[in-house]
Order: sequence, then C-alpha cells, then structure tokens
Amino acid sequence: MIKTPYGHKVYAMAAEYQSTAALYEAAKRVRDAGFRRWDVYSPFPIHGMDEAMGLGKSWLSGWVLFGGISGLLTAALVEFGPSWGLYPLDVHGKPWNFWTVPAFFPIMFELTVLFGAFAAFFAWQGMNHLPRWNHPMFNWDRFSRVTNDGFFLAIEARDPRFTENGVRELLEDTGGQHITIVHEE
Amino acid sequence: MSERLRTAPTPEGEYFESSRFAGLSFLLGLIAVIALVLCAIGAIVNPHQFSYSWLFAFAFFFTLCAGCFFWTIVHHATDAEWSVVVRRQLENLAALLTVLALLFVPVLLLRHHLFAWMDIPRGVEHLLAALALRRLSARQDKDGNPLFTIWMRRVSFISLPMFALCLTFGAFDWLMSLNYTWFSTMFGVYIFAGAAGSSMSLLVLVITALRQAGYLKDVVTVEHYHIMGKWMLAFSIFWAYIGFGQYMLIWYANIPEETQFFITRNTESWWALSMLLVIGRFFIAFPILLLRSIKTHPHQLCIIAGWIVCMQMLDMYIVVLPALHGTGVHLSIWDLFSVIAIGATLGFVYLRLVPRTSLFPVRDPRLIESLKTVN
Repeated sequence: MIKTPYGHKVYAMAAEYQSTAALYEAAKRVRDAGFRRWDVYSPFPIHGMDEAMGLGKSWLSGWVLFGGISGLLTAALVEFGPSWGLYPLDVHGKPWNFWTVPAFFPIMFELTVLFGAFAAFFAWQGMNHLPRWNHPMFNWDRFSRVTNDGFFLAIEARDPRFTENGVRELLEDTGGQHITIVHEE
Repeated sequence: MSERLRTAPTPEGEYFESSRFAGLSFLLGLIAVIALVLCAIGAIVNPHQFSYSWLFAFAFFFTLCAGCFFWTIVHHATDAEWSVVVRRQLENLAALLTVLALLFVPVLLLRHHLFAWMDIPRGVEHLLAALALRRLSARQDKDGNPLFTIWMRRVSFISLPMFALCLTFGAFDWLMSLNYTWFSTMFGVYIFAGAAGSSMSLLVLVITALRQAGYLKDVVTVEHYHIMGKWMLAFSIFWAYIGFGQYMLIWYANIPEETQFFITRNTESWWALSMLLVIGRFFIAFPILLLRSIKTHPHQLCIIAGWIVCMQMLDMYIVVLPALHGTGVHLSIWDLFSVIAIGATLGFVYLRLVPRTSLFPVRDPRLIESLKTVN
C-alpha cells in the first residue's frame, strides 16, 4: 500500500485531458505500457474505447447463459415434477408423458428469459462493483466535471507497474493535465 | 477512434464480369430449359401431383425472394447504414420476383387441382386481388437503381404495409387455402418469419460466393457478416416463436376443425419430417448461432446459412405436400424437377442481372459509413 508523506492511502494517479481524442490516444498508450488496473472517465460513452483500453470480450454473456440455463432447468423441474410424479392432473385429456411438453414451453421460455435478465443485471452490477456509496475519485475536486465536460484517466496504485515517477511521466507524455495523486479516503 | 477508420476505397464500384461465368450461366440456362420441358411433361402426365410439386418449389423460392424484398424496404425505411454494402444483392434477388410472377402461371393454370375452393366462385376474386397486390410489390422491386435516397425511403414506407398484406394474403391464398376448411391467423406471420430468416441466409451465401469469386473483398467485412449472423439468429428465434405460438394454441384448444392441419403433419411419416424441421430450424440453428465465433467466420456462417435454406425448403414441403399426401410422405420426381427448374431459371436470370450494376451501391450517401461499420 502506497501512502503519502502525510499518511493518506493512495488510490491512484490521475490526469485530465482536453478532448475525447486526447483521452483515446492516452488510453492506447497506457494499454501498450502494460497497465492492468486503470480506468478512463468521461461524460458520455466513447466509441471504440473498449478496444483502445484493451478490455477484450466481456464475459457478461457467460453469466447470462448460465442464468438462462438455470431458468430453463428450474421451469422443467417445477413443471415435470408435479405433472409426472407429485400430483398428476388430467387436463384436457393431455397425455402424462413427455409429449405434454408443448404446454410447458411457455413457462420454460419465460423463466429462461427472466433468469437470464436477472443474471445480466446482477452480474453487470457485480462486474462494475455496484452498488457503492462513494468512489475515491470523488476526493479530487476537479473530478466533479466528469459529468459535464471533463475527460479523466486514472492509474491505480495497486497496479504492479505503478511507480509514482513512471506514471507521472507517462501521463505527462500523453498530454495529461492537472496530474495529481488521488487519496483512498 | 482513428484506429478503426479503415481507409475507404474510392467509390468506383465493382462490376461482375459476366464473361468469366459464361459457362456457368450457359449450364444453368441449359438445365433450366431441360427441367422446364420435363415439368411441362409432368404437367400433362400427372397434373395433380405436379401442381403440388410446382407450388412447393414456387413457395420455396418465392419466400426467399420476398424475404430479400423485405430486407430492402426495411433497409430504406429504417435508414440503415450497415446494409448499404450488401443491399445491391438484396435488390438483385428481390428483382427475381418478376421472373417468379411468370413462374406463377403454372399455378394459375393448374389451380383446380390445388384449390378445392376454386369451385366456389367467390374465391377467384380473392386470388386476383392478391395477384394485383403482388404485381405492385414486384414493380416496386425496380427501385434497384437508386436516384434519391429520400424518394426510395418514401416508397419503402408505402411498401412495408403493402408487403405485409401481400405476403399474408399470398400465404393465405396460395398455401393455407390448400385445405380451405382450415384457418390460422398466424399463418401469414409464420411464412414471413421463415422467409426473412432464410433470405438473410441466402444473402450470406450469395455474398460469400461473390467474395470467393474475388469481388467485394474490401467492401464486405467480418463486421457485416456478424450483423447478418445476428439477423439469422433473431429470425431463427422468431420463426420458432411464431411456429410454436401457432402450434400450441391449436394443440391446446384441441378443436377438431383447427387441429386437422397438425394432425396430418404429426402423424404417419410426416411426423419425422416435422420433428426434423423443429429440431433443425431451431434447436440446431439457435445454439450454433448464439456463438459469436460462428457469426464472425464467414465459412462457418455459410454452412449454417445453407442449412437454414434447406430447412426453409423442408418447411415449404411440409406446408404444401401433406395437402396431397395426407397418409404419409410420398416423394415424387416432380418435386425435384420443379425445384431444379425454378432454381436454375432464377440462377440464370440472376447471373444476367448481376453484371448490369455495380456490386454495391456506389453513390449511396451512407456508403462510407457502411464500409466502416463496427458492431
């Protein structure tokens, strides 16, 4: 854990950029320098930023698939269970065997979608460390402009490649302004 | 962002050299002529069987081409960007509807074999109305050569409801009415769902064939394949949704006048084909198309696209032929000849149509954006 001379824990070193283009170019430089724990902040999504940051494929889809399959299996269990074993009912003279399955499809479909949507929502929350009350970046007063016209890049202190001088040089090199240390709390 | 800006080729257009494929064109023409002659013999020797075979083949190719027409008008109506580079081929395929209008003549001539309700005089006007609407939609195909994007967009807006009506009533009058005592309000949508998905698959095949021949190399990218793959996935799901919706409501209510359609198709040897359709068109296509890696590999996508087109053929077979052979599958040589005759004719006309214009719309205002498409 890196601390300032006054004993504050260091969260990151951050810089402000003039435009999306400058932020985009800076992100590519940071990506190529091999940093893993860092992020960019802007008032709106920037197309192609995922590629510039080297984020790769999101595995949210894996969670959704998992949720969908759980929903399908849950539906199959709660439908076939009672209909076959626990409490078979004669409905419209439909057979008590597998071929009643068309009647179960709507529920299977609904639960697949429902569980898939839940998985998408909660996995997305988890992947983004949400919900949270505060973020260390808010300790920097200039950062409030991120919802207006500010473009920021922060390299976290827990990144193994983080050294104060090295990161400062890199941020200066890429045209970052107001380079500063952001405290943890 | 600049990293993504691929340098756009100077829009000069690419032209299909028909001389390179003169042999193929001649071969297709020859096959078409021979098959058409054989079909004429079939129409005389065994008109009853032949009329169903021909209607099946016609329905298969009609849904493919009508689907392409649908994608064209949707492209204009939604001001879509990605599809600009593939639009010309959609237009070419949709323009084949004019040829199909000619190939519909045998159905008209043999209508008394197909449609029992033809003996009820009221039905005739119905068919004529559908034909008139269909002619109109065929005439709108000719917006192949764009002059004004805005003008085409207006035409498309008018065409969309017209297309919906034409396809619905076409499906009702030509296919559903083979057994005029059976009815399903979902039937038009069902035919549409199959048409849209299979025509997108056909587009993938045509574009890949052109790329194999050395065209559109820098124009159509993996990103476009990815989008086309997504549409194939979407319409596999939509087809299953509509098909199942139609099936389940009828199966569950279990009313004799409604169930007759499915009883024929779910008993005897038709059952195996129906299961093959359900499994092949949805349960195989769906999980494969879910994978991103399939959608971004043109050759793998082509295999599944070819499979979907085959499934569309099976779909039309199951819609048309049980009306004749209610007791079980009865393959006929005229089924084969009809498919070959219409297929070869359309292929021949297509090869004559392609060289006439650039392979992609060169002066489209959104061409550059389309070239740079990313998902």
